[in-house]
Amino acid sequence: MSEQVVPVDAQQVFPREEGEAGAQRRIGVYVCHCGGNISDYVDVERVVQGIQDNGDVVVAKTTMFACSEASQQDMEADIKANGLDGLVVASCSPKLHTYTFRGVASRAGLNPYEYTQVNIREQCSWVHTDDREGATHKATALVAAGIGRTRNTVPLEPMVVDTTPHTLVIGGGIAGLRAAIGLADVGLKVTVVEREVAVGGWVKTLGKMYPHGKDGRVLIDTLVSEVKKRPSITVLTGAEVVGKAGSFGNYRMSIRVGGEGAGTIEILVGSVVVATGFDNYTPGDGEFGFGSEGVLTLTQFKEMVDAAKGPLAWKGRPVRSVAYIYCVGSRNTGGCSNAYCSRFCCASTVQTAVQVSGLDPSVRQFHLYRDMRTYGKFEPLYTEARDAGSVFLKFDNDEPPTVAMGANRKLTVTVRDLLTERTELALPVDLVVLVTGMIPRANQDLVDVLKVPKGGDGFFNEIHPKLRPVETTVDGVLIAGACQGPKTSAEAVTQALAAVTQSAAILKKGYTEMEPLVAVVDADACTACGDCLTTCPYEAIKMTEEGERRFAVIDAASCKGCGGCVSYCPENAIDLLGYTDDEISGVIADMIEVRV
Amino acid sequence: MTDMTDMAVARDAAPTSLDYDVLVVGAGIGGMESALKLGDMGYKVLLVEKEASVGGKMILLSKVFPTLDCASCISTPKMASTIHHANITPWTYSQVDKIRRAADGTFTATVTQKARYVDIDSCTGCQKCEMACTVAVPDQFNADLVARRAAHLTFPQAVPKKAVIDRGGSSPCSFACPAGIQAHGYVSLIRSGLDEEAFRLVLDATPLVGTLGRACYAPCEGECTRGSLEGTLPIRRLKRFASDKHDASGNDNGLARPESNGKRVAVVGSGPTGLTAAFQLAKLGYGVKVFEAAPVAGGFLRLGIPSYRLPEAVVERDIENVTGLGVEIAVNSMVSDPAALKADGFDAVLVATGTHRDSGLGVPGEDRLGVMGATAFLRKIKLGQPVDVKGKRVVVVGGGNVAMDSARVARRLGAASVTVAYRRSREEMPAHHVESVDAEKEGVEFRLLLAPAEILGNAQGGVAGLRCTEMRLGAPDASGRKSVEPVPGSSVTIDADVVIAAIGMAPDTSMFGGRVPVEKNGRLSSNKATCQTGVEHVFAAGDAVNGPTDITRAVGEGRKAAHQIDAWLNGREFDNWDDRLPVVDKQAVLARQKAFTLSAPTPDGMQLEPAPTDFHEIEAPLTEAEARRSSGRCIDCAVCSECGECVAACPVDGCIDLRSTAKTSDLKVGAVVVSTGFKLFPADLKPQYGFGKYQNVITAMQMDRLLAPTRPFNTVLRPGDGKVPDRIAYVLCTGSRDKQVDNPLCSRFCCMYSIKQNQLIMGALPLADVTVHYMDIRAPGKRYDEFYEQAKAMGANYVKGRVADITEKPDGNLLLKFEDIENGGAITEAEYDLVVLAVGVQPNRDAEELFEVGELQLDEWHYVNEPEEDMNPGQTNIPGVYVAGAASGAKDIADSIVHAGAAAAQVAAHLERTRPALPKIEMVPA
Repeated sequence: MSEQVVPVDAQQVFPREEGEAGAQRRIGVYVCHCGGNISDYVDVERVVQGIQDNGDVVVAKTTMFACSEASQQDMEADIKANGLDGLVVASCSPKLHTYTFRGVASRAGLNPYEYTQVNIREQCSWVHTDDREGATHKATALVAAGIGRTRNTVPLEPMVVDTTPHTLVIGGGIAGLRAAIGLADVGLKVTVVEREVAVGGWVKTLGKMYPHGKDGRVLIDTLVSEVKKRPSITVLTGAEVVGKAGSFGNYRMSIRVGGEGAGTIEILVGSVVVATGFDNYTPGDGEFGFGSEGVLTLTQFKEMVDAAKGPLAWKGRPVRSVAYIYCVGSRNTGGCSNAYCSRFCCASTVQTAVQVSGLDPSVRQFHLYRDMRTYGKFEPLYTEARDAGSVFLKFDNDEPPTVAMGANRKLTVTVRDLLTERTELALPVDLVVLVTGMIPRANQDLVDVLKVPKGGDGFFNEIHPKLRPVETTVDGVLIAGACQGPKTSAEAVTQALAAVTQSAAILKKGYTEMEPLVAVVDADACTACGDCLTTCPYEAIKMTEEGERRFAVIDAASCKGCGGCVSYCPENAIDLLGYTDDEISGVIADMIEVRV
Repeated sequence: MTDMTDMAVARDAAPTSLDYDVLVVGAGIGGMESALKLGDMGYKVLLVEKEASVGGKMILLSKVFPTLDCASCISTPKMASTIHHANITPWTYSQVDKIRRAADGTFTATVTQKARYVDIDSCTGCQKCEMACTVAVPDQFNADLVARRAAHLTFPQAVPKKAVIDRGGSSPCSFACPAGIQAHGYVSLIRSGLDEEAFRLVLDATPLVGTLGRACYAPCEGECTRGSLEGTLPIRRLKRFASDKHDASGNDNGLARPESNGKRVAVVGSGPTGLTAAFQLAKLGYGVKVFEAAPVAGGFLRLGIPSYRLPEAVVERDIENVTGLGVEIAVNSMVSDPAALKADGFDAVLVATGTHRDSGLGVPGEDRLGVMGATAFLRKIKLGQPVDVKGKRVVVVGGGNVAMDSARVARRLGAASVTVAYRRSREEMPAHHVESVDAEKEGVEFRLLLAPAEILGNAQGGVAGLRCTEMRLGAPDASGRKSVEPVPGSSVTIDADVVIAAIGMAPDTSMFGGRVPVEKNGRLSSNKATCQTGVEHVFAAGDAVNGPTDITRAVGEGRKAAHQIDAWLNGREFDNWDDRLPVVDKQAVLARQKAFTLSAPTPDGMQLEPAPTDFHEIEAPLTEAEARRSSGRCIDCAVCSECGECVAACPVDGCIDLRSTAKTSDLKVGAVVVSTGFKLFPADLKPQYGFGKYQNVITAMQMDRLLAPTRPFNTVLRPGDGKVPDRIAYVLCTGSRDKQVDNPLCSRFCCMYSIKQNQLIMGALPLADVTVHYMDIRAPGKRYDEFYEQAKAMGANYVKGRVADITEKPDGNLLLKFEDIENGGAITEAEYDLVVLAVGVQPNRDAEELFEVGELQLDEWHYVNEPEEDMNPGQTNIPGVYVAGAASGAKDIADSIVHAGAAAAQVAAHLERTRPALPKIEMVPA
């Protein structure tokens, strides 16, 4: 299947019949109380009074929850009864409810692009809680601006693009492998790209894992054999994604493949699942004694415990005592700069401690923690560790424990224990285990290719944790596993399957509808100066010829509607649908005209 | 790990056409997410939700962590998308009864769409029924902080926005009424000040509103759930109150003469059965004529019941309800051949002639002057005929109500003495308890365990006394009454001038001369269910068929007869006129009520004199204040009272139908998603925290309601006294990490929702201090720990240490005793205005009920087990059955949504694997 581009040009914008400027419109305006979120700070009745005399406004009302089913039904009835040709809802952010009210418009037979959402909550009531008068004035002006835009809207149709039933999975760790199997099982073709020479990620290095005691190596082996049973999965190891072109539903991905047949290949995919995992935090030199003999990270210690067949030994000496220092590299502990909690480490540590007690019940284990976060069904592990003899001491982040190497080469951990009246305890131990958390992968090259945004913590950001938890702001590029944030292996798998679901929801239909909010060139006005080509970050603009005439043309499927070219064009030959010059002028004109 | 390409679910098995690809059980956030994603993928989904709205618990929340998005703003789009999705069929207010897995790997689910009594297609969500509803019960969607109506929208943002009428069954009072009168309904109406409506509700069943308000023995009151607390409601007197108010108002009764249907019915007998039947038939448009042998209409109401209990004027007013519909009543009209009335143009005939013949004593001397039957005696008095008892010694034989009436009438007529002789003891007396007690108060003497043996005569042919045999009690007989046997050789004589025999009544069928079939016991013969006799157009009902009963039963007989005559005349099958729902369980009602305000019953209003001399009415009416207070004591056992106000208020005809019934269907589906969610820990299981006892100890769900945009009080205040709290404490791990309540698990989200509430409270009440008593703060998620730090920075105070116990001070403040671990570990006390219990999660055991016992595997804590959680999250032990969200263990909203997404992937893989031979489901764009 080839990439299908649906060109949109000015002719496809259906002008309103009798739509000359100045014609009267029939607009319905709804101002939402948001159950008090707005009406506690904005006098919504006065907002309605402020705009209801506008000549284009036919219906103007307040509503308790504009998004409620009842209000939606009410709007639909109004649209039909009054033959409305424009809809304005003043409520919350368009991020939340643009689609909700476009749906209302559609169901009532109104073109959904004749709808304007005005944000008087995030951008008004919530930020002006101290000034009801001012907030009311501002809300009125914002609503008037919305009416000004709607007066100039034109009906638009979404672009329908055929999609490619093929998903690229980046990362061959447990999340990536499970996603690949899931995608294959719902009938999609899959390519897995793994940077390392073998798949398996971190889990492949783990022995017994909590809470079910499964062996990480076995889990990976099982997944690999399942992958091999599915001919629709291609696995490329030692490979990296180096380029992305095309648009939602039809991305052309460039992959640099190493080894035999090295070079760059290109595949066409409908969606991308990013499952690039995490790195382990490496403590700085001297951070809690790191670098000293006998001071290990949890990862190192876990490897040692997994390998042990009998009582633990370190450098030939039996290990009689262990101190675990929690939150190393997390929650700003001991001055590290990571603010976040790494989620998996508490349970992982107590499970490791239980394992150690199983090898040798006489080993003394001290857990120096801040909050024990064995959430949900992990709690019994914590109980089990205590029952097996582990001792838990709580430290204050203002007074973190210190690790010192004595003259006898013996490690001593000193901690002020909040659980025993802040008693300062000095614990001579054979090993100190630094419970290190997860940090984001250093993979800026990939980030540059995918343009997936990262959060303040450096992990990839979903659009919304509840509404769109595996989607990113790049359509069709999904995230799964620890690249989105610290989590357990099972949680990574769960998210991988959620990404499978999202891919299937996009691709199983075989086509997708895209927003027609794209830039269009007026070929008659274009002088083919070529300036716009330099402004487009999406490579959506090309020069074309039609007989004698040369002019720019914009590929609607690639255009993201950023508007960069619009403002740059010296001939004013480009307009952005949904944000046309007329619409923006209407916004400004009506906003400044408002008198409250 | 099972082989994920396993084809064990035979691909070759003949594919059976499915009603739906997937059944999703539960439309909380997990169920909605699974359904939406599966719908997006093109699968046909049946989504079954037991509540009347989708949305689960999330929609009830204020805001959600860590983004502080408004919960409604996140939920409502998902709810609306769910309902509008082309591939999702949402069945709300429905339940999955059982799911069975077939040999071919598909499932048959039995699903019941519960009766919501509102037509979901006609309802516009206008809430007029809610405004009109007279019943208020605790609103579970506001965590019981406020009340809601029986007719209601689940909550303001309900999707679909359709009303539902909460009917738990029949209330015990209404169910007890043999006349089928909605006792709960009129009590509820009077409580709401709708007295005329109350009158009309009773009038809907019978014309005898005033009569029943006085002379009914009120079986309803015997069943009143309040009876087991501090005493029954005066239900009968409330009915009289409504009737009196109507009479005093001068209103017409609201019944217009219906258009004639061209058919005529004759009713023989004008007692309660005949009058009720005539009334009901007239309302249906029949031309009705009542034939009464006596000189006045009303039967026993007019000829038996003494006027101190039931004044004649009341009966006459009630009869006007019948004649007002055009019913003709012919008195002094004996009918000897009912069947022959057909020749006079009557299409059907109802015989309801009652029991007017006294049973004889069967002892020597019965023919003496001064011996009479009780009905004959009462009838004479009512007709104003002379009876000579003044100054006489009167003995009444019998222990029933008629005996009591006779004795008390004799007292009023100036008898020198009145003695009731009864062959058993007081406990066995069939008379209504109140009647016998009142008779005694009026100076009637009781001689018990005496059976008449002979009436002794005097020289004038009159009576000198009653000789009796002494009796003694034996073992209970078949009816449960203790048997009696004569004491051999005993003999007791009571001096008497008059003996009234009140030992039973029987129908008088002599006038029919065998033209109406009669049973061996002398009663008319008719089918008990249909009232039809051997002659098809002749029906018989009431006491003439059943023997002596009481007014309510007689009224019920009249309603039944009218219903069946109407059925027969219209060629319909006979059916059951009584379509009441099963009675509710009183214990369940009492358990539902969280707290009772005990309130003393209204005094009975009887004004008795030791020696009454006239026939004035002895029972005082309820005052307006008494009526409101008494009706206000009703605890709405069945929730809906059937008062009918919603039906009247609904602007759409036929939208509300209290007769609608549940519908059960069997559906074939390819896979099942169990998304039945969780339950919150019932905080009263930690009695040391005082929830349910101290009003200012609330649960976190209640706090979330207090903070929500749809908050009940529009601000945060404490329930005890409405004060705005200054010092608020949180008790974390209430019901979690606690072996005492058998839950060793962490509930995962309580720390986070508490931190969220801390921040919202500090926003809503800037002066309030918030202190959180915790064990560990568990903020292990993306941006969660940062959220915790933010709360600390805003000023919330976090104290490590478990709360041992809470006590209440007289001013409603609460003393918390806790271990202050970080400050020396001393046992410390602190005083707060309000305490919030951060309740944890319990498994929803409904999940296991979906399948045969033991079929769906649960984990050791009774959550749905995911045997391969690490590789196949969402998969259960049953192939084709998946679990989404908190049904498999506590999860916060974000985790539930991701988990539901994973379950959807599992379902899709299962469907693709097991049914490739099926035609591809047509893709419907979402």
